[in-house]
Amino acid sequence: MNTNDKLINDLAPQKFGKLGVIWTSTLIVIIIIGIIAYIDQVIKGQVVTNMRDYALWGIYISNFVFFVATSFVGSVTVAILRLTNNTWRTPLVRIAEIITLAAIAMAGITIMLDMGRPDRLIYLFIYARLQSPITWDVIIIPSFLVISFLLLYFPLLPDLAILKDHFKEKNPVLSKWYGKLSLNWRGSDKQKALQAKSIKIIALMIIPLSLILQTIDAWLFSTTYRIGWDSTNFGGYFIAGAFVAGLGALVTIIYIVRRVYKLEDYITEFHFDKIGKLLVLACLTYLYFNINEYLLPAYTASVDEATHLNTLFSGSYAIPFWTVTIGGIILPIIILLFKKGRKPLPMFIIGLIVVLSSWWKRYIIVTPTLLHPFLPIQGVPESWRHYFPSLHEWAITTATLAMALLIITLLVRFLPIIPIQRTADEQELLKTTKTIEP
Amino acid sequence: MEDNNKNSRRKFLDKGLKVGLATALGGLAISKISKLSAKSNSNPEEFVELMTTDGTIIQVDPSEVQEINHSNTQEPTYNVREGMPNRKFVMVVDLARCKNALKCQSACNKNHYITGDNAWIKVYKMQEAKDTAPYFMPTTCQHCDKPACVTVCPVDATFKRKDGLVLIDNERCIGCRFCMAACPYSVRVFNWSEPDQGEITVNMDMANANHEYYSPDYAGMPSLKGTIDKCDFCPHQIKNNELPHCVSACPNNVFYFGDKYEDTVSNRDEIVRLSQLLKDRNGYRLMDGLGTQPSVYYLPPVDRLVDFDEALKNYKEFESVEKPK
Amino acid sequence: MKKHLNFHPIFIAFVSVALLGASFQNLYAQKAKNTVRLKAKYVKIMDGEIYFDIAAAAKVGKQNLDVSHVDIYAYNEVNDEEIELGKTTTNAKGESKFVLPNLNALKPDSTNTYTVNFSFKGNDTLKKASKSLSFKNADIKAKIITKDSINYISATLIDTDSTSPLTKTILNIQVNRLFKSLPIGDEYNYTDENGTIFVPIEEGIPGVDGILTLEVVLKESNDYGTVKAFVKAPVGVPSVEESTFDERTMWSPRNKTPWFLLIYPNILIFITWGLFVYLIINLFKISKS
Repeated sequence: MNTNDKLINDLAPQKFGKLGVIWTSTLIVIIIIGIIAYIDQVIKGQVVTNMRDYALWGIYISNFVFFVATSFVGSVTVAILRLTNNTWRTPLVRIAEIITLAAIAMAGITIMLDMGRPDRLIYLFIYARLQSPITWDVIIIPSFLVISFLLLYFPLLPDLAILKDHFKEKNPVLSKWYGKLSLNWRGSDKQKALQAKSIKIIALMIIPLSLILQTIDAWLFSTTYRIGWDSTNFGGYFIAGAFVAGLGALVTIIYIVRRVYKLEDYITEFHFDKIGKLLVLACLTYLYFNINEYLLPAYTASVDEATHLNTLFSGSYAIPFWTVTIGGIILPIIILLFKKGRKPLPMFIIGLIVVLSSWWKRYIIVTPTLLHPFLPIQGVPESWRHYFPSLHEWAITTATLAMALLIITLLVRFLPIIPIQRTADEQELLKTTKTIEP
Repeated sequence: MEDNNKNSRRKFLDKGLKVGLATALGGLAISKISKLSAKSNSNPEEFVELMTTDGTIIQVDPSEVQEINHSNTQEPTYNVREGMPNRKFVMVVDLARCKNALKCQSACNKNHYITGDNAWIKVYKMQEAKDTAPYFMPTTCQHCDKPACVTVCPVDATFKRKDGLVLIDNERCIGCRFCMAACPYSVRVFNWSEPDQGEITVNMDMANANHEYYSPDYAGMPSLKGTIDKCDFCPHQIKNNELPHCVSACPNNVFYFGDKYEDTVSNRDEIVRLSQLLKDRNGYRLMDGLGTQPSVYYLPPVDRLVDFDEALKNYKEFESVEKPK
Repeated sequence: MKKHLNFHPIFIAFVSVALLGASFQNLYAQKAKNTVRLKAKYVKIMDGEIYFDIAAAAKVGKQNLDVSHVDIYAYNEVNDEEIELGKTTTNAKGESKFVLPNLNALKPDSTNTYTVNFSFKGNDTLKKASKSLSFKNADIKAKIITKDSINYISATLIDTDSTSPLTKTILNIQVNRLFKSLPIGDEYNYTDENGTIFVPIEEGIPGVDGILTLEVVLKESNDYGTVKAFVKAPVGVPSVEESTFDERTMWSPRNKTPWFLLIYPNILIFITWGLFVYLIINLFKISKS
């Protein structure tokens, strides 16, 4: 059909332009530098980081938390919007699924970088103690990885079949791969029924699984006695934080992909408007949890709690704290409440600020608490009273972020960014050549 | 006459030469005999080849190699994860006596071959509030009965024994440092790099040749890169009926150590009933409100025999392990 | 004749040089040799072994250093004869324990006094040293008596060979504990005219199953050395096990995980991964149809 051909042509994966090649090469270089830094870390020990006995966790852990939080976008966009019958989500779901998969895969890899004895990784499975929150993490992360993959794969099957045909002449090798991965999809009733049923189950499963994932991530901190971590608020706080971080990442990447692949017809200003409103909702929720976490304790302020809050409000972490709070939460709320603020370009900038703020927010959650333990820091070198990541840590962390971007890039390169079959079905239903805008 | 003179000269020379030769021979003989009985360092072929803990071969003078008498020390007859039967080890720290001599710290550092920057026993300079009196507080691992560190360990590397000790199996530890995050007393240290226990690993092997290499009962012998260490209450000492090193090294008898089931604690010079001591001196535990149930009791710093400012002179804010110069 | 004459002077020369050399050696060595002090204590365990706690220390400059890993020989001196009993080697702290099965291994002299000599033969850096111990044989017979539901320990001290009681001698009563023994009773318990002491055992001393090992000790008597008698009796309070080791707690090892953690998470995992298997089977079904 003509309309379908246009659809397929618009949405089928295209080769990298010059920009794409430069981008991918840069990412690969960053990753290689990170791998070299990591090998050095394995040989010399983690003394190459700036973590010491007091700042015992650093950006490896805060980076890990960031990845876990970002992986929440899949369940928001795909499952929650689905369950609330927000049909406009269609052009956005594939990217959301891709981001989720990349984020959770990198979360799994990032946490291994922090281990003192990575050669004993298998012990986490064969000697696991169910009483430990880390074991819960070891259970939920692979589980979430599987469901993220299935979330991406099931809806992808029809599109893979379409692409097999599309590339039959142009690129037979690629076509063959699409064919294999499409699992003989022919659009038969039986297949459609199986697919529909499976997607329904996945959509239902992914919400509790992602909530459990965010909660366990929060419990890694709140199962300790430490001031700043020992908070009953942490579970909800992290879920809200994930909501914000995931949407921020979605907005940013959607904008870039839309520009690069010229998908303005499919991802319209309407979609940005809708996502913008969702982001405001997310930020408001997050603001509520932040007030409970930071403002309320100031009311009673036990000595230890007061020290912690003073460090954040006016002490050594004041600048990062206020930047991420204002930039990452307040600013989006204000700007996105206006229709003009929800246009694509402002949304992109806000999205970027939200992503960066999310990353630094988790740094503020991890480090200051560790630097004021119950007993005074004495008898150790003065440098142990501070923490700023070393070059090794930056190199390795940047490499993990680059690897996440590389996964996203490669998946965007080879998969249709917007679900082809679904879009076609919706257009067919409404006899229109554009995407749905109820 | 002439003949006689010649003869006497000849005889004299003859005698002289022979005497000289005899002297030389005699002297040589004496020196050789004395060399035989002395310890010889000079002959390289007589060196003994040994392997250190990290696999390098070294040559050691045979005089430094001691034969270990296996019958003297006891092999552990208990399961090392279960602990010594019918014991519950406790420590009492008398804050009224602590003068910050830091002998406990240096004894612990030396006997556990601690080479990092963080000692396992730290003597904190404490002051609760601006108006309250400052004092020194030696802090070891509290060997809690509800240990937060053990609860969070994902691989069972740190464990609580029946005899009350919380120990670390460095062969199991994956270096996630969650136990360090969980411990409210900040007593755990991490080996961020290869612990430079170097030449002393040879001594280690000599001194502890009887124990299965490696054992949680012998913390720090050796320390492993990427794993956790902490105070172990010296079970390697208790096995030989000796007090932990910090307890016996303290010149002011600040520490007491013993078995709670026997209701008795002792140090080098004293032995007392634990319940009586705690009752008379109002013993308490550190951060008891957290619910960790530590095994270390503190006696409040009252009626002190200590001049705080004097003790302050020995205070090292940024150092707890002395490095070789 | 000539030969004979020639021999003598040379022989004398050889010998004198040898002697001179040796004495030079001695003189030179003596400048470096340090004095060693041997300490020895005799302990007799009733119905058990006897042993000697030996300590060797050397005075080096101003310090007293332990003499480790040297041999100490033990001799039984009887009527000017020295019978070798054996040897022992000091440990890293310069201490050693020389054990004999009982006093029958030693021969006393006519006054029923045993004399044991310990000697260190010296080496290149240390002088010879010796220590002599003389002691007679004493016995302590101890038993528990319960009167009016109070436990007492009764102990009688006698000279073994004359079987006469030793009066007005201090005996110490102790309870055997982990590192040291806990004294009970008065500081000074004097034996009466029958050589007996009668001491109440204070209540509330905890022990495993309530069993205490009481020690009656004659401490470092000039004539009789140290004599210890052990009495094991259920005169204590049973100690109460406080350990949670055998329970299922949050801090137990993995084989004692609390039930709710074993059951609920595993149910959740089972359901989740069961569904994953179902979904993957669906993928295969799609592929096959």
